[in-house]
This record gives sequence, structure tokens and C-alpha cells, in this order.
Amino acid sequence: MVERQSPLEPAPLEPELRTGSHGDFEHGPDVILSETRPGSILQLAAWPGQEKNLIAGIHTVTGLALPDGAGAGSTDGVRSVFGFAPGKFTVVDEAEGLVSAFAGVVTPAIGTVTDLSHGRTAIRIAGPKAEWVLAKFFAIDFALPAFPVGAGRSTMHHDVFAQIQRTGADQFDIYVFRSFARSFWKALCHASEEVGYEVQ
Amino acid sequence: MSPRRTDAGGRVDRLRTIRFTFDGAPYTGHAGDTLASALLANGVTLFGRSFKYHRPRGVLTAGVEEPNALVTVLRGEVREPNIAATMVEIYDGLTAVSQNRFPSLAWDINAANQLGGKLLSAGFYYKTFMGPAIGPLKSTRFWMFCEHFIRRAAGLGRAGTAADTARYERMNAFCDVLVVGSGPAGLMAARAAADQGARVILSELEPHFGGSANWSGETIDGMPAADWAARAAGQLEGYDNVRLLPRTTVWGYYDGNTLAALERVTDHKERPGKGEPRHRYWIIRAKSVVLATGSFERPLVFPGNDRPGVMLAHAAERYANEYGVLAGNRIALFTNNDSAYRSALALKKAGAAIVAIVDVRTELSSEMRELADEAEAKSLSGHAVVATEGGKALSGIKVQRFDMTNGALAGEARSIQADCLLMSGGWSPTIHLASQAGAKAEWNAARQAFLPPKPTQQWIGAGAFTGSFSTAEAIAEGRAAGLSAAGGTGTPTALPVVEAAPGDPDPAPVFEIKADGKSFVDFQHDVTAEDVRLAHREGFISVEHLKRYTTLGMATDQGKSSNILGLAIMAEALGKPIPEVGTTRFRPPFSAVSIGSLAAERFGDLRPERLTPMHDWHVANGATMYSAGLWYRPMIYGHAGETIEQAYVREAKATRESAGIVDVSTLGKIAVQGPDAAEFLDRVYTNMFSTLAVGKARYGLMLREDGLAFDDGTTWRLGQQDFLMTTTTANAGKVMQHLEYFLDVVWPELRVHVTSVTDEWAGAAIGGPKARAILAACVTGTAVDNAALPFMGIVHGKISGVPVMICRLSFSGEMAFEVYSGAGYGTHVWEALIEAGKPFGLVTYGLEALGTMRIEKGHVTGAEIDGRTTARDLHLDWMLSKKKPFIGSAMMDREGLIAPGRLELVGLISLDNQPLNGGAHIVEDLDEANPHDSIGHITACCYSPALGKYIALALVKDGMARRGTRAHISDPLRNRFGPVEIVSNHFFDPDGSRMHG
Amino acid sequence: MLITCPYCGPRDVIEFTYQGDGNRERPQPASQNLDAWNAYVYDRLNPAGDHNEIWQHSGGCRAHLRVVRNTLTHEISSVAFARGDHKVAARHKAEGKT
Repeated sequence: MVERQSPLEPAPLEPELRTGSHGDFEHGPDVILSETRPGSILQLAAWPGQEKNLIAGIHTVTGLALPDGAGAGSTDGVRSVFGFAPGKFTVVDEAEGLVSAFAGVVTPAIGTVTDLSHGRTAIRIAGPKAEWVLAKFFAIDFALPAFPVGAGRSTMHHDVFAQIQRTGADQFDIYVFRSFARSFWKALCHASEEVGYEVQ
Repeated sequence: MSPRRTDAGGRVDRLRTIRFTFDGAPYTGHAGDTLASALLANGVTLFGRSFKYHRPRGVLTAGVEEPNALVTVLRGEVREPNIAATMVEIYDGLTAVSQNRFPSLAWDINAANQLGGKLLSAGFYYKTFMGPAIGPLKSTRFWMFCEHFIRRAAGLGRAGTAADTARYERMNAFCDVLVVGSGPAGLMAARAAADQGARVILSELEPHFGGSANWSGETIDGMPAADWAARAAGQLEGYDNVRLLPRTTVWGYYDGNTLAALERVTDHKERPGKGEPRHRYWIIRAKSVVLATGSFERPLVFPGNDRPGVMLAHAAERYANEYGVLAGNRIALFTNNDSAYRSALALKKAGAAIVAIVDVRTELSSEMRELADEAEAKSLSGHAVVATEGGKALSGIKVQRFDMTNGALAGEARSIQADCLLMSGGWSPTIHLASQAGAKAEWNAARQAFLPPKPTQQWIGAGAFTGSFSTAEAIAEGRAAGLSAAGGTGTPTALPVVEAAPGDPDPAPVFEIKADGKSFVDFQHDVTAEDVRLAHREGFISVEHLKRYTTLGMATDQGKSSNILGLAIMAEALGKPIPEVGTTRFRPPFSAVSIGSLAAERFGDLRPERLTPMHDWHVANGATMYSAGLWYRPMIYGHAGETIEQAYVREAKATRESAGIVDVSTLGKIAVQGPDAAEFLDRVYTNMFSTLAVGKARYGLMLREDGLAFDDGTTWRLGQQDFLMTTTTANAGKVMQHLEYFLDVVWPELRVHVTSVTDEWAGAAIGGPKARAILAACVTGTAVDNAALPFMGIVHGKISGVPVMICRLSFSGEMAFEVYSGAGYGTHVWEALIEAGKPFGLVTYGLEALGTMRIEKGHVTGAEIDGRTTARDLHLDWMLSKKKPFIGSAMMDREGLIAPGRLELVGLISLDNQPLNGGAHIVEDLDEANPHDSIGHITACCYSPALGKYIALALVKDGMARRGTRAHISDPLRNRFGPVEIVSNHFFDPDGSRMHG
Repeated sequence: MLITCPYCGPRDVIEFTYQGDGNRERPQPASQNLDAWNAYVYDRLNPAGDHNEIWQHSGGCRAHLRVVRNTLTHEISSVAFARGDHKVAARHKAEGKT
């Protein structure tokens, strides 16, 4: 099995972008940055009127129940799902090959499945200052009541599109286009310097 | 002991001494001092020279409204000019210099300007533009002659040229209630809202919360007001739902209750912490806003009111109470209202002698007489100051009897010795943000001030901002505003009890004392009362014209101390009441904002870079990277000693002779999926896609709605309902939006999903006579021969264990294949292809060679599909289906788009064997001295190794008909002229025998 | 300026792309009526007041929206999906609060 290469492979990166503690971390880093490298990142989209069937299909395959509503989502730590647009969902699995599991479930009558496992890079930011650092990039409200655990958001930082899922009280998974991942990673590290950060 | 520092009192930390320099001289101050308070403590009275007349100026205020005491702060090579000394917190090593003086602050050569005051009067710039004709120096030329000297003499600080290495950041914040200003009103509002559970942000432009409580000398709840404020702020710190932002100026109030603020994070520090930005630009979206921005005290207009030593009354009170600094030892006051009496008493208590309180009013309340007595001040009611004396510091004033009903002066002028004159002309609520938010302020005749308008956005005012100038009112209004903003209702608990000096908030309607001498209205721009009247005489009576003609209210202070005065003087000249003259609408920013903070993280190298999966391989293997939009692509893989041209010629030649490989991962790729995908593509492309077989690709062309060419690329049918569309690199985003628009807005009935999968796939194009052999050597699971993989065929297989999708198509004109793999396998597949290609002489090639081979083949790109060309212009009319309508089909044959004389795509060959230039014009007859009559231009050019010539693609008027004729390129900018032959755009292998193999 | 995307909630205008006058009516694809095409491609209303506009939430969910915006005040009186068939549960349901 050939291993997938990440755009954040350490070799070409500057030391402060690699594993270790950086910035003003003497009192302990306030954010932890990591790349989660899920095996599968899929986009599922329902035809109008087929959202419920699609949501049922997602439940069948992943075991995850989707709460009702725009941007709702859930995660069990291994698999995650969230809505990012009307009738459209991102489904993530630690394991590769999730696309084939949907083959007979999400039929052409329900909608489409698009494999983006290589095309999106998943970056996790966790820690007490995660909201603070993300607020430098995205003009959305990261406070817990406005952005509950499991929920997803589609937004952008300048030219970088991002889908963000809150996967913990102070943890967010950010999905960016692979080609922008290194640039965004650099910016994220840079913005985390003042609070101290650890790359895992 | 500093000459002006009091023995005790103030809120500076006297145990901490801080060393700084001003104009090179060393000084000391204490922690908590501003540059202004520290310099005053050291006996410095001269802070700068004025804008036009270079008059000596001291410090007028103690806050953000300061018009005079502007300094330049130096940090290493970086200089920041025009900073109010009243807003600079001193730190060890602070280096500040004064401005607009030559050769020195104390002895300034341009001070002679004031002798020629008539020349520099209102409208000076406009009049000088129309300058006198003196011999050859006519009008504007005369101006241009003078400009250098005038610009040197007039002005503020000098901007630096060194790069600013400081960090700036942008922050997005959301809250239920934003409280602007942290005086007693703001503190109460924040507390009340926070107690309701609202998310609260409290911003304060100064370093300490408390506003006027820090220096009012009043008592709140039995403790000094400053202590009460410190305690209140400390309590707010303990709330999880409150964010405190000191040193943060809310400077803009925009639509949707979006406010902009500047936080000065490290300006008061010797050096920033690790990663700490200098400024944060906060964008705050608040459900509601409490404006508790207080008020500004107004100066009075009288001759010599700008002499160093003349200051606002509350400013001196603040210097004494907050900083322990006396503005003078023998202090006189000049007022039209009661607030100055409290100031007088505060200064008396701080140790100064109050020599006189000059009041324009004849009748004083008994309370004010008592305050004057307590201050042991001589009370001169019904008097006015008519002159000030002294040079660079005040030595005395002259007063005369004054009748405020008609402004008449009477009796002998008498002199009073004083080293400081404090003036109070009433108070103006700081309504700037409310005005920005969109409504017109309302004149209140009793307060003699513009009060905030009715809200047009979600804000509530409190305290002095509303014209309620007493602390007790501020506390009550603050709490009510905080409650209301948070959606709460009143609570019966008692309000904090205030003990304050008495005073009537309404001033006498006196703004100016007319006497001989320059009486300044706008200190920063040197606008006098006479300038305002001159503007009136010359017809500039609208307040907006007045502002522009006299420059009143412009520059860094934006007229915070001068707007009302200018308006009042104009109103008097017009014989109209003030509200009929109007006021200017305030615009953002409230106070100066650093450009760096607005640029924020865009500053520096943080423009996002898009990298292909093979990026690191390219860099490691000698590629010179080239930025194409946000993408980085190899331009050439140069060998030692090669020029760019030598490198790309070698790469292109080797490709045509054996094989070459290029990274095409940047091509836009869009998954088009769904039962109506084929139908949708038929509507989007000019040619048919519903007839395309699964496992086949087709070249497609898109037009815009107006019938002009839009984009081109190949689209692959991967399944019955599953297409992979490719677009040009540059247009990927535009094409995506185009498709989304039609699916959402025009044809919502089509069941089609489009998804950007550009980043999902790594793409390598391998072409040349040996390309197939190289694939055969490394691809498993599928044959790649002509039967299995015909032209435009698609196969699936593996390379080095990785699944790949291979499409046989050609941009280079060679037998060529595009090999796609998951992006994470991109480098793996690329390296396997390189390895397999070694025995065949495979070369890597970059954008230059790619461009060269496409020019040789006459293929179009964005340079030719430039938004002005049609399919016919580009000889792509064979792609325009007649069997179906498509986007652009109805408009593409409009008269002008098919008329003769259009620019058509042709090839050019340089006949003098010299390189051609992109963008060069083409002419029939060469006229180097007078280039004219362009018949077209070059869109792309190169040296063609296949032809051994310099060639180009060009758009030429009626180009097809000109094939075989000669023309000239005419490029005067680059001084390149020469003969060319116009030929077909298909330079090389026009029948495509090479790619069809 | 904020636009309240029916899916994403209120977002800054920088996340949106203006996609033109929402009053335009596209002729039938096969129509040869050049006047109608000309009106569709080139004619734009320019009212001082409420205007029907198409915006795409390009920096968010990418849905196209029909927006009624007052060109004098920027006040937005209505936002709806351009597609009539997006049935999206109200946002507050997902968040448990308004």
C-alpha cells in the first residue's frame, strides 16, 4: 500500500511549522495544531426532496445521526458528518474507502457522492485559545452557543475556502483545499505564536 | 523633583521612573504618564509648531482630541508621525521628536510666515493655484515653482521610508452588547448588560478604564471616583461573558451594527511579546451598542488663544488629579460655564495659585461664587480675555469688561500675571459614532451643543454623550442603557451615590471674543476666526464648503475641538441660528488608524500560495517556479549556465524528439454529476456532449451569454451520469460560478451537482514520440496501445501500485497522455513516470516549453480568449453546434460579431530573426517616428525550435485574408520594429499526424 | 454590509459575489428574439430604492440568493434561495437558540 503524501510533510517546512512547541509557549501552549489525515472525505449531495433519504443513508453507513437544521452535524471521534450547504454534507472517516460503502446506499435517485479524500486537507486546532486564533481568520461566531459541537460552517479566509466542524468544546476541524493547505498552515502557526502553540 | 510634579496625588506610579527622550534631550517620568504629562512635569511647554504659521504651540488637551502636541515616535528606523503626545504612554527608551520645525523647535525660521498672514489666509491653495503672472511664471507654473517651498514649510510630520516590520492582525468579534467608553456610564452599562447574561465587550481608548472618574475628584459610593471605577473594572474582569478592550478606539460604525476598532496592543511596551501584534483591527458585530463616549470641552476663541500655556480647563484638572502634574503655578481661567470652577478648585487643591476666574457671564450662581472663594480666586464676572502675553510660554493675560448680549468690550484692558490660562467654552457630546451610523445630529440651544440623533441602528446612548453631563446622570443612564441593550428590565436596586461639585450644565452662548489679533478656531490647521469670516465674504457659506475652503476640521484631529466654534462664527456672520447652518456628517475613522492594521494579515508574505502535489519535487529538481495567479508552477528546469530561452528550447525540442512531462495539476477540474449532466453540458458547451461515449473525452468550448468566447477544455465522460470537466487554470473559479449560476438561477429543474475537484487529482501530461512506450513500461492493469487507448480515449490502470486514470489528449501536438492520480499519490506517480522515462530520454518541462509548443500548434489560451474574441475569430466555429441552442448561441452571430474587419487569430514569423514581444502592435506601414494604424497585436511569442524561428500568435484585423502577406511589428515602448510574415496559426504539424500517431 | 444567508446566517458581504440584476428574464434557449436576448444580456434596472439582486454566497454554502436591497440605505428587506426547492430547516433549530 502506497502511503498518501500530505501537503504538510515536515521535510520542506520551516522548523516552527513542524512538530514541537513554538511561539510564546513558556506558560504552556494554548492551542494544539495537528493534521488529522482522515482516510475518507466525501461530499454527499441530495436532489431536492431527497435530503431525508440521504440523511438516512448517511446514518446507515456511518451510524451517525444528523440533527435537523442548517449546518447541523455530529461526530463520534472516528466518523464525522455535517451539513455545509443546502442538501449537501461532508462525511469524514478515519479509514479509507468510505466511498464504496455508499455505493448501493446513496443511489442516483437520491443524490451524488463525490470523493474528496485527496482534495481536502483536515487541520485540527484545539485548546483554550482555539476560538481566539480562528477569529483572526474567519468572520463567523465561534462561541459555543452560536456554534455547537458537531455543527459545521462554510466560510473563507481571503481566497481559502474552509469548511469547519466543531468537534469538541475547544476543538475545531478545518477542511481546506489541499493546494492551499501549506499556506494556510503557515498562517495558522503564525497567528498562534502569541498564545503559544504545539504542533502534534 | 520635576518642576511641575506635585508632591503627592495623581495615579502615576511614583516608585517607577521611566526614561525617554524628546528632541534628543533625556527626560524622566513615571509609569502611568503620557508623553504630554511627563513633558509638562518636566516644565516643557513648547511641543510643536503650527501648521501654516509655525507659531509655537503647547498642549491644549489631555486626550485623543489634541490638535497641537503632535509628535513623531521613532522605533529603530521606523518613524510614526502625527501622534498626539497626550495619547503616547511613556516607556523606557521612548524616542519622540517634535514636528514641523526648522532648524529647531525653539528657533524656527518659518515662524516669519505669521508676518505674512494675509498670504496664507483661507483658500490659500485655491488662490495660489490661480497665482499671479510674473514674467514667465504664469499661474499654475508659478504655483509649481512655489510648491516645493510651501510644502516644506506647511505640514505635519514626515512619514518614514523604512519598512514597518511590526505585526498587525485582524480580529472578528461578536457580542450582544458593545459598550463604547468606560466612564461611569460605560462601566454601569457593561455591568448591567453582563448581569443579564449578555455577551459584552467594553472598549476604552485610553489605557485605564474609568474615563472622567479617573480625574473628576468626585466621590462615588463613598470612595474616590477613580477607585470606584477601578473596582468596577476589576469586577467586570471576573465575568466570563465580558471582554475588556483597553487602548481600543472604536473608530467606525457601519451597516448591520458592524463596528471597527483599533487596539494598540504594544505601543506602550519597549518591545512586543513573542508573536504579539502591534495593533489589532477589531471588526465587531454587536446586536446592540451602548455609546458612552462622553464629551469634549471646547476652547474659546480670542486673540492669542493658541499661546503655549493656554489649555482646556478640564485638561489641567486631569493633569493635576490623574498625573500629579501642575499645568502652571499661577493659573487664570476663562469660561462661559460652571465646569471651570470645579477645575479651579481642583488645581488650587493640587497646589497652584488661582489668580483669576474670568467669566463672560455677569450673573454667577451662589454655588459658583463659593467655589471661586474656596479656590481663593479673583472672580471677574462680565469680563473676557482679550489678549495673551509671552513668547514661547505664557506670562500674562489682558482682560476687559465684556457684554455678552452684544459682544462689546468696554473699559481699560488690564493685565494679570499668569503662567497658565485655562479656557472652557462649554462641552460637545462625542457624537461621532452616532453620526457615522447614519443620522443628523440635533442642536440643543440650552446645552449649546449638537446632541446625538435618534438611532437609525441598534444603539443606545448614555451619559455625557447624550448631553447629560453630571456623573449621577451618567450612572443612571448607563445602567438603563446596559439593561435595555441586553433586553433586560429595570431593577429596583439603588444606584451608586455620587458626591460632586454643583454646576449648571448650560453654558452662555459665547464662542468668540472679537479683539485685535489672531484668534484661532482650528489649532491644528491654523484656521482663525477671520478666515471663517473671509470664507463667508467670498461666498463659501455652506458648512461643507467652509470646511474645504478653510481646511477647518481637517487633518488628524478632524476638528474635534473646532467644529462647533467654526460653525458658530459662520452662523453669526450669516445672521442665522446655528442649526440652520448645519453640521458636517462625521465619517470614519473617529481618530487616526494605522494602515498596517487595515492591511492586517495580508501584510507581508501571507498571500495564500497554491501548490501542486508535486511542488516540492519541482523545487528539489531545479525548477524555477513562476506564480500564475495564486498557483506556483515550474517555468523551466534550467541547467547550469542556461538562459531561460536556452532552457525552454531544450525542453521543447527534447519533447518533440523523445518525450517530455509537465505538471498539469493546476487545470481546473469540476465533477459534473447527475442524471441531467449530459443535457447540462450540451447547454453549457457549444458542442455536443450527450453523444460522448463513456470512457471518452471531448474538447469543449464555452461562450458567454453575449456570444463571446469564455473558456475551453476537455471534458471526460467517466460514467453515464458522471463527467470530469477541465477548465483553464486561470478560469477555474469563474467557470465554476458560471455553472452554479445556471443550475441555481436559470435551470433549477436540472438534476446536476457540480463540485470543484481541482485539488483531488494530480495531473501529469506526458507527450512525445516515446510517450506511449514510457507508459507501456510502467502502467499495469490496462493496455495503452492504439486499440485500448485511442485519441481521446480514457483507461484506468495502475502505476507503481497506485490507481491512475489516463486520457490520451494533446496540447503539445505530440502523441500525449494526461495521467491523473489521487493528489496524495501525485509525487509517487510522477517519480515512477520519470523513472520509467529514463531509458527513453524523458525530460521535465515547464510553462515556457508548454507555451512554446502550444504556440507552434496554434492552440488558444486566455491570451486569445480575452473577452473580446468570438469562436469565429479564433477559427473555432467548427465547434458551434447547429443542432441545439447553447449559452451564447443566440447572441454570437450579431452583426458586429460577424462583420468584416474583426481581429482574427493568425501566426507571425519574425523576418529579421529577432525576438517578438507580447503586446506589440502590428502595422501595415512602418512609421517609427509616428506609430499609427495598428491592425492588431501579438498575444504570445517564443522561439520555435521546431521551425528554428521567432514566431508569435497574434490577433490581426481580417487576419485570415492576410495570410502570406507581410506586415511590421511596431513596439515603440520597447523600441522594437521589424518585418513579419502573417501565416496560419497552425505553424507545426497542421494535420495533427503526430498526435494521432 | 451583512447579508443573512438562509443557510449560513448573517455573513459579511466579502463572502458574497454579486451576480447581477435579479429582474432579468432569460428567453427560452431556442428563442431567436434578439431584442429579448439583448434586454436580458444588457438591460439593467438601476432603481434608487429597493432592488432585486442575485448574490452568490461564494465564500460560504455557494447558494445563489435572491436579495431585495435598498440601493440608498443598503437595507436588505428579504433574502431567499434562488432555487425555490431548497427546504432548509430554520437555523435556530440546529442551534437550540435564536
